[in-house]
Amino acid sequence: MTVLSQMLAFTGIDQERLRARWVSSAEAPEFVEEVNAFIHTLKKLGPSPLKAAKGQEEEPA
Amino acid sequence: MEYKTTLTTCTYCGCGCNFYLESLDGKLIGTIPCKTSPVNEGKLCIKGWNVHQFVQSERRLTTPLIRKNGALVKASWDEAIAYTAEKLKGIKADKGGDAVGFFASAKVTNEENFLMQKFARAAIGTNNVDHCARL
Amino acid sequence: MSQDTMIQDIKAHVAKLLEDGTIAGFVGLIEQNGHVAPHLFTSGEKLSGFSLGDFNSPGDSRYPLNKTLTTIARAYPHQTFGVLVRGCDERGLFGLFRLNQLRENRVVAVGLSCPDALAGACECKKPYPDALVAGEKTQVPALKQVAQMDGKDLAQRFDFWRDQFLKCVKCYGCRDICPMCFCNECSLECEDLIKKGDLPVEVPVFHLTRAMHMADRCVDCGLCDEACPSDIPLRLLYKKTAEIMNVEFGFTSGLNKKEKSPLSTMGPSK
Repeated sequence: MTVLSQMLAFTGIDQERLRARWVSSAEAPEFVEEVNAFIHTLKKLGPSPLKAAKGQEEEPA
Repeated sequence: MEYKTTLTTCTYCGCGCNFYLESLDGKLIGTIPCKTSPVNEGKLCIKGWNVHQFVQSERRLTTPLIRKNGALVKASWDEAIAYTAEKLKGIKADKGGDAVGFFASAKVTNEENFLMQKFARAAIGTNNVDHCARL
Repeated sequence: MSQDTMIQDIKAHVAKLLEDGTIAGFVGLIEQNGHVAPHLFTSGEKLSGFSLGDFNSPGDSRYPLNKTLTTIARAYPHQTFGVLVRGCDERGLFGLFRLNQLRENRVVAVGLSCPDALAGACECKKPYPDALVAGEKTQVPALKQVAQMDGKDLAQRFDFWRDQFLKCVKCYGCRDICPMCFCNECSLECEDLIKKGDLPVEVPVFHLTRAMHMADRCVDCGLCDEACPSDIPLRLLYKKTAEIMNVEFGFTSGLNKKEKSPLSTMGPSK
């Protein structure tokens, strides 16, 4: 995770877009809380730059 | 125990990249691009990188094959050429030269490709000449 | 030190190793048809063809000799072989020993140092091997590339890398030439990760997957960079990965023979 998040940052993708947390299947409320928090973070960060890149990928040659 | 490299040119396309075919005790095991070749300067495409796989492959054809009763059967060169000539003449008589299409190849020489299109145009009488690079 | 002296030193050294039976063969470079190519020398007489290529472009005679050695060693596991190594190749050997691809007692490294110009172009952290037979210990050049990229802001970095990654033609040259790549089932061919036949590659999946897999393996030899037909600065990507490994875990691939990879050890994090 340490390496991957920094490599994402190096290639211009915000580290905040990557999250890893271990949640037990017995911890349902924690799971919901984590996902909601992540959604909140992502919404604040805005659309991913990868979306625009994907658009470029599908452009006809 | 012998490991050596043989400098050669790729047969896949008209680019003509140079690489070394690696052989260990007579068997081809790998391909290394030639860094000092002005053509490709040490780089290859995916086809070039895997050239060594087909050269000594058991799946390479060693004789012509003719389809008889739905199955491909080994034939001699004379038989294969006679069969092909017979069939082409038949198709030309029945449906005209344009019923035949010709696909040339990047793996053969310019002279051979010239012969193919000459055969298509002069002998069969069609302009249906295309090339594998378009596929 | 002139190249001729280096060649003589290496030839003399290897001839002796072959003569007294220490090694069954020497993986080096031979001059053939006006080019320099990897070769296995099995006797002293054949050594006359040994060459280091054009002195003015030493990079052009760099080939993944460790890979050749590994292939031969697999076929002849009970023989000992010598191999020509630069600084990076020796780092590679230490890594291959650690990863059980080569047996340390079956390899004799014959080292040469790199000229300053090459060391500078590579920004090599150690442009000479410990097992030095020819050449002097080259000075480590200033390391600038990674810092330069880090100096740009996030958006600039993204634009740069996106444009680079979109050029990829999936030739797999970076993987095929890498002396540290030996997996029978390569992750880059796993269809769950990398879709078959799709071009351009999914940004940044293909290249970051490779970077992550090279994290504790890459020895910064730069052959991948040189093999990329699209001129993608792969080496820069892997140099950054190596920097992260160094800063976070104090690990540099191949620098110390016995050092285990932090990615393969479980335990308390820093």
